[in-house]
Amino acid sequence: MKKDYFLKAFGGAALLVVMTALSVGPALAAEPYHLGVNLAITGTGALYCKDGVDAIKLAVEEINGQGGFMGKHPIELFVRDTHTKPDVGVREAKDLILRDKVRAILGTYSSAVAVAIKPVAQEYKVLHIAAISNSENITKVKFSPYTYSVVPNSYMQAKAVALGVAELAKKKGWKEYVTIASDYEWGRSTQNNFVQLLQQAAPDLKLKKEFWPRLGETQFTSYITAIMAQKPDFVYGSVASKDNVAWMKQAKAYGFFEKIPYPGSLVSVSELIIQAKTITRGLVGLCRAPFFAHMDVPMMANFVENFRTKYGRYPSDWAVMEYDAVYALKQGIEKAGSIDTEKVKDAMKGMTIDTTRGKLYFREIDNQLSCSSYLGVVADDPKYPFPIYHDLVEVKGPDSWRPEAEITAARAKD
Amino acid sequence: MDTSLLLSQFLSGLSRGMVLFLIASGLSLIFGVMNILNFAHASLWLVGAYFCYSFWVLLQGYGFGMWVSIGLAALTLAAIGWVIEVVLIRRVYDRELPEQLLLTYAMVLIIGDLIKLTWGVEDRIIARPPLVEGPVFFFGIPFDSYFIFVILVGFAVAIGLWWFLQKTKYGHIVRAAVFSREMVSALGIPIPRIYTGVFVLGIFIAGLAGGVQAPVGSITLGMDMAIVVQAFCVVVIGGFGSLLGTLVGSIIVGEIYAFSILFWPQGALVLIFVVTAVVLIIRPWGLFGTPMRA
Amino acid sequence: MKRYWWLGLVFIVALILPFVIGEFWVHVAVEILILGLFAVSFNMIFGYMGQLSFGHAAYYGVGAYATGLLMVKASVPLPICLPASMIAAGICALIFGYFCVRLTGIYFAILTLAFGQLMYYIIFQWYSFTGGDDGLQGIIPPDFLFSATAYYYFTLFVVAAALIVIWYISESPFGYTMRTIRENPDRTRFIGINVKRYMLINFVIAGMFAGLAGGLWGPFNRSIAPDLCNWHQSGTPVFMTVIGGPLGFFGPMVGSVIYTFLMAFVTGFTEYWPLTIGLVIIFVVLFMPGGVLGFFEERVKIIRARALEVGAGESSEKENS
Repeated sequence: MKKDYFLKAFGGAALLVVMTALSVGPALAAEPYHLGVNLAITGTGALYCKDGVDAIKLAVEEINGQGGFMGKHPIELFVRDTHTKPDVGVREAKDLILRDKVRAILGTYSSAVAVAIKPVAQEYKVLHIAAISNSENITKVKFSPYTYSVVPNSYMQAKAVALGVAELAKKKGWKEYVTIASDYEWGRSTQNNFVQLLQQAAPDLKLKKEFWPRLGETQFTSYITAIMAQKPDFVYGSVASKDNVAWMKQAKAYGFFEKIPYPGSLVSVSELIIQAKTITRGLVGLCRAPFFAHMDVPMMANFVENFRTKYGRYPSDWAVMEYDAVYALKQGIEKAGSIDTEKVKDAMKGMTIDTTRGKLYFREIDNQLSCSSYLGVVADDPKYPFPIYHDLVEVKGPDSWRPEAEITAARAKD
Repeated sequence: MDTSLLLSQFLSGLSRGMVLFLIASGLSLIFGVMNILNFAHASLWLVGAYFCYSFWVLLQGYGFGMWVSIGLAALTLAAIGWVIEVVLIRRVYDRELPEQLLLTYAMVLIIGDLIKLTWGVEDRIIARPPLVEGPVFFFGIPFDSYFIFVILVGFAVAIGLWWFLQKTKYGHIVRAAVFSREMVSALGIPIPRIYTGVFVLGIFIAGLAGGVQAPVGSITLGMDMAIVVQAFCVVVIGGFGSLLGTLVGSIIVGEIYAFSILFWPQGALVLIFVVTAVVLIIRPWGLFGTPMRA
Repeated sequence: MKRYWWLGLVFIVALILPFVIGEFWVHVAVEILILGLFAVSFNMIFGYMGQLSFGHAAYYGVGAYATGLLMVKASVPLPICLPASMIAAGICALIFGYFCVRLTGIYFAILTLAFGQLMYYIIFQWYSFTGGDDGLQGIIPPDFLFSATAYYYFTLFVVAAALIVIWYISESPFGYTMRTIRENPDRTRFIGINVKRYMLINFVIAGMFAGLAGGLWGPFNRSIAPDLCNWHQSGTPVFMTVIGGPLGFFGPMVGSVIYTFLMAFVTGFTEYWPLTIGLVIIFVVLFMPGGVLGFFEERVKIIRARALEVGAGESSEKENS
């Protein structure tokens, strides 16, 4: 009886060998540039990532229209879904690198996925450009020369908000506050940085309580009533993507925003568009790359027009940044004069690039782009079918990023 | 810790519990009668929410659009439930528990992808009519007015199910089938038809729950995954197949959640699983269930 | 021993595999081995004891975290971490199992699920120790195991050794007692066997090997995350076992080969992997109740039966051997 099992197990193994042998095709010539995208097409990040993928496709189309990178390396795009899970993200990254032979991986929605992919990209000497996930741990500690960031990181964003909130607090006489942050890497590091930086900027302000709803929470009512009962002078939130939409909609139904100021939380263009009708006007929000802040930059005006023509909607922050990521790579390749990853990686170090957000540069110590954070008041605008930010404050990258000495100190502990 | 705070947490816990009850009651009904644990219950609930959104888009212009959409979503899901029962569930009546579980688990995966294919990845938001848009105040405590509707629907379902099972002839047959399939069969009542009816009713409630959920926040992929295990906890705590137990279990889980946010914010979910495990260890049949075939 | 020669051949094939296939498929092969061991350990509870555990990932996750934490925080060498993973997972299985074995059927399934989720949320919330949702990064295997091929051989030997041990356990008097408990717990009790204690021992052993599989995962993936513990992960060995066939020792392993290979293959061109595997599972449940091995078994039986009819009596002696 048992013999049969061995027979079959062997048959299965032999079948596997044949199948694998068949599926490993001959390696392709180096001419086309294989570009990998690793984003969360399903799961909590889907809302932001769809825009990102669409923007990448647009950029690739534009560049391929000119013959590809350096006019001769047409881009072949490979898009993979991380399911917002680190181990799936790593497997997909390996797959992109080993099977699709990509030379660069764009994307990463979740910071937890980004930090898990980083060492894999480094091991296989593949570029990794983070354009949505922005935990500063992606570039601060366990530094990889292959990982670049074109998104203002959690420290830069927190610093921008801390400066803004400290000023508001002084003006309004605020004393106590409460935080609500999604319980995962990005939510935690953003909240943490904000609390520390605010402590420096306004030492009198007291943190009364912290709330940590889990990632993927759909019903925030218990948090809302608990926060309101604390009667804080203001609330700081770092809740992202679809959780943010649910949180803000339910908070509004409790009359939350009329009672308690909610300054400086992430309200990206995605939220502005989706909640066009319902979002509270007058809310002080933070975003990472609003297109309307840079319509004077020809590259941005061009991008918005092309994006609207192709997809019939306005691009979100996430679209802007993924688009910039492709063009950052393009300029790196042109400077290196080669698609060889080692050369491109070295060429991009400290490089100044043209982006939709103007001329920016990568800082040498951590490959972080000198991009700005944006604060503003949500208000209707006749030019757009959704509210945008008025009284826009742009906090420049070099004014908000973590001092180099602190980064060196943090890395000494690695 | 003043009383108004406790009251407001209690109310938010109650509304959370009612959302859970709407999901868990159908789950419990199907398990109690058919002995099938339907992993895909919350997935169908989510499909109900998406259908509610689609109907609402069509009926947006009318003042009653949202309310009608909720009802239409429930009816649509009842039809889908019928198809699933006839095509899939019927084939595994006589199978072992693991096979039934796997079948419904596979449905979770399939339904998830079908939702993605049908409605895409964007969040869907229903703008509530003005009547339930803002807060109402109880003794100065704000409360989301829509949740008054949610709580009312929850109790209506509870009373409706009780009436159906206790007071109607069909309900008596269903209850008899729980105890002895053979006896009911021998009386000339076809068991498959009863099972189909119960399954359709359970999924109808799931669709109703989904429709009710839709205007609460946003409708997104993956919502089902987060809630299905909590719904299991509710059914376990209350007792399999016990309607009253499911109601009490829902409120317990909702209140644990609401109050642990006040006292131990990190531990809300841990506590729910601890309570579930303790109930299973001490009284596997739950607070209100009766020991039965295991 | 003659009937084991097939196994030797499979092993030889496994040994030469990295020379034949590309590097990506070596990674897939490592996954097949690790998840295969995970599934085989699950099947000690499912196939041999007859209970469905829906929280087996808890022990897999605890094993992964034991190795991960020891390597990252204390720089303990991998060969010491793996036994530590087994012990940690074993202790965890002992505590949870003590309660689980008191229940059967649906209650057993749900209690294991509840404990699994409990473990998941503890790891998830215990930020200072486990890194919470970030997981742990920088779990780098020693230099001589750094390449995919080297790690493949390492995994192959560890998994092969573990399978031999599990095989001996399942063929020992203990293993047959478990089968007896599966078939009829009451009668087993009547002949003086402490059913609960036997079930608990089996549960702990299964947990230990799941922990070993988890320990192997971290250094392979370079990082771990709490997802390794949650109920989706617990579904994986169930799928593998049902696809491969729960009644044979190698069923879960065959299931792992099919499942992991299919996943690597399908995700290469579509994001609709859940849809694909969902349809496969429904097909298997409805039309191949014994899994792939069970299916072929039936075929072989039918063919043999026909052969017997033809050469009546001739081969009856062989059948008995």
